[in-house]
Amino acid sequence: MAAITIKDMSVSYNKGKSYVLDKLNLTVQDGEFCVFLGPSGCGKSTAMHCVAGLLEPVDGTIHFGEELMTEVSGGKKKNFVPPQERNIAMVFQEYALYPNMTVRKNMSFALETKKAPKEEINKRVDTMAKMLSIDHLLDRRPAELSGGQRQRVALGRALVRDPQVFLLDEPLGNLDAKLRDQVRYELKKIQTQLGITTIYVTHDQTEAMTMADHIVLMKDGHIMQEGTPNELYNHPNCEFVAGFLGTPQINLFTVRVTEVNGALVLNADSFSLPVPVELVACLKPYAGKDVHLGIRPSDLLITEDGLIPAAVESIEPLGDAHLVYVRIGEQVVVVKHAEEEAPAAKSLKLSPNPAKLHLFDPSTEKRINP
Amino acid sequence: MQNHVGIERSREAQQAQTVKIRPRWHMTVLHIVYYFIMVAFLVFYMLPFWGTVMTSFKTNSEVMTSTPITPPTEWTLEGYASAMEELGMPLMTSLVVTIFGAAGSVFLGSVCAYALSKWRFKLNNVFFIALVAATYLPFQAILIPLLQTINALNLYDNVWGLVLVHSVFGMPMCTVMMRGYYADVPDALIRQAMIDGNGMWAIYRKIVLPNTMIATITTFVFQCTSIWNEMLFALVLGGYDSKPATIALNELAGTMAAEFNVQMAGSLILALPVLVLYIFMGKYLISGQMSGAVTAS
Ligand SMILES: Nc1ncnc2c1ncn2[C@@H]1O[C@H](COP(=O)(O)OP(=O)(O)O)[C@@H](O)[C@H]1O
Ligand SMILES: [Mg+2]
Repeated sequence: MAAITIKDMSVSYNKGKSYVLDKLNLTVQDGEFCVFLGPSGCGKSTAMHCVAGLLEPVDGTIHFGEELMTEVSGGKKKNFVPPQERNIAMVFQEYALYPNMTVRKNMSFALETKKAPKEEINKRVDTMAKMLSIDHLLDRRPAELSGGQRQRVALGRALVRDPQVFLLDEPLGNLDAKLRDQVRYELKKIQTQLGITTIYVTHDQTEAMTMADHIVLMKDGHIMQEGTPNELYNHPNCEFVAGFLGTPQINLFTVRVTEVNGALVLNADSFSLPVPVELVACLKPYAGKDVHLGIRPSDLLITEDGLIPAAVESIEPLGDAHLVYVRIGEQVVVVKHAEEEAPAAKSLKLSPNPAKLHLFDPSTEKRINP
Repeated sequence: MQNHVGIERSREAQQAQTVKIRPRWHMTVLHIVYYFIMVAFLVFYMLPFWGTVMTSFKTNSEVMTSTPITPPTEWTLEGYASAMEELGMPLMTSLVVTIFGAAGSVFLGSVCAYALSKWRFKLNNVFFIALVAATYLPFQAILIPLLQTINALNLYDNVWGLVLVHSVFGMPMCTVMMRGYYADVPDALIRQAMIDGNGMWAIYRKIVLPNTMIATITTFVFQCTSIWNEMLFALVLGGYDSKPATIALNELAGTMAAEFNVQMAGSLILALPVLVLYIFMGKYLISGQMSGAVTAS
């Protein structure tokens, strides 16, 4: 068990012609559940393979606790602990089950390599198999399993071990919705119990939000923002982060900051909103300019005296709430109406929660409000 | 709707085509010619074999008085008995050389193929190209220095000399054959085995070999056949005491010019092990067993 520290790590698959990861800096605390989140192809698996020692960066260092695992500078390898000596457990995106071994043998393979006592191995495998509901499959071979079963075996194989670090690369990708929720819950529970530092790769923001202690949101080989799920959701530092987290997606408007009678107002074609006092200071420099205003669907409330007129386009019931698609000016916007009754009127008045406005600079896409 | 019409039309077009083909007189003639050629080849290939089998079961006097293709009036094993007298020792020699030579070359080839397909090192490709080139090497080109080397090692006229030579010279071919199979073992499996605490050789033993048994068996059978049938090294390096069966059979033909029944029996004895090997190993050479390793998609 150890913290993972990555310093100035760059990775290139073509000897430095282009970089998949560019000067990545990151610390994963001891015992933390850290999620690498980002769109497909942003370099999540690459970063994880570097931590595992399956891939050498062209630059940078990786420490587990105080121990130096990888040190490369300018393409020259100075220190490198091979993967088999790093004491990690990993689930690959492609499962990588050994086809010549039964499920039980697959799960016990690493422990047998470490020469753990036989009874101990069997006990752990049985417990874990039960927890993942694969105990009836222990004598089968991988070829005789469905995709979801294979994925659970791959997960179980990692979880029976007692490693320094867990590395999980999209381990729930092939499970159906119900099973995914169940395994997600089990996985988080097991991780909390064992307290083993975990890196979890996913492109699914729901998984990240529900499981992570620490989210690292990546795009094109760069970290866009990191922090707790709450920090990222409530204080996204740029439009990309705001848009990536939360379903349905955040609504974005282009509004002009104008000064009317000494007070600041956000003006759009079809509505204008007063600027809340907390935001006056930071919006002052933007007077007369456009900014992007982000409001999450759940922060748009349907009220009698709302300032934003909207025409209802369609309504999706969610059971305990409704997603109301409305037209504001030219734009279609989603409102999450947390009532069992759908709004009856065809035209509504909306008022945003003034404490939950997200403002972004249109040119840099960076957050304006503190 | 449109689709339906399309299907109808194509069916019509198909029918039109078959109708067009059938009455062409020259197609029928062509068929007859094909069959004639095939039968001719069949006879051409099978007749000597038939003659060999028939002759091997005749007495020496009957060989003189009958054509090779008529069945014997009196079936006898006397040809086989005489042949075994001459071929007994050489067959043992061949057996030892074949089994150990094939095992040696398959082992060396397997290790090379594993390193070449799964581990990146400098000059990886150069090494592979050199190996491929080596499979095209004409052995007569290196025969004299080879003989001198074997002499210097004091392995002339010695089974182990032949085993050594076959192991080494069979290795490039085995490497090329097995590299293809090993490349099909997913890299994710190798990585997973590393994560599970295994080094390069443990992975070879526990993961790569068990999952490519077919490659090993196929290559082994192939090597057995070519070593069993080999004559050049056998002639030059075998000497007198450890001459393999191919050479002994050749001498059988030379020294007993008239005893065709013995010669034919000897030929069949020599051919038998290879036939048996193919019949029994055949089932291993058919199906794959790599399924279920990685994402099914
Ligand atoms: N073995 C490889 N060789 C060359 N490029 C690669 C290789 N693996 C990944 N890449 C590239 O690196 C980028 C990041 O890939 P990856 O880390 O797999 O992304 P993610 O896991 O976030 O989907 C992608 O653009 C991908 O095309
Ligand atoms: Mg990936």
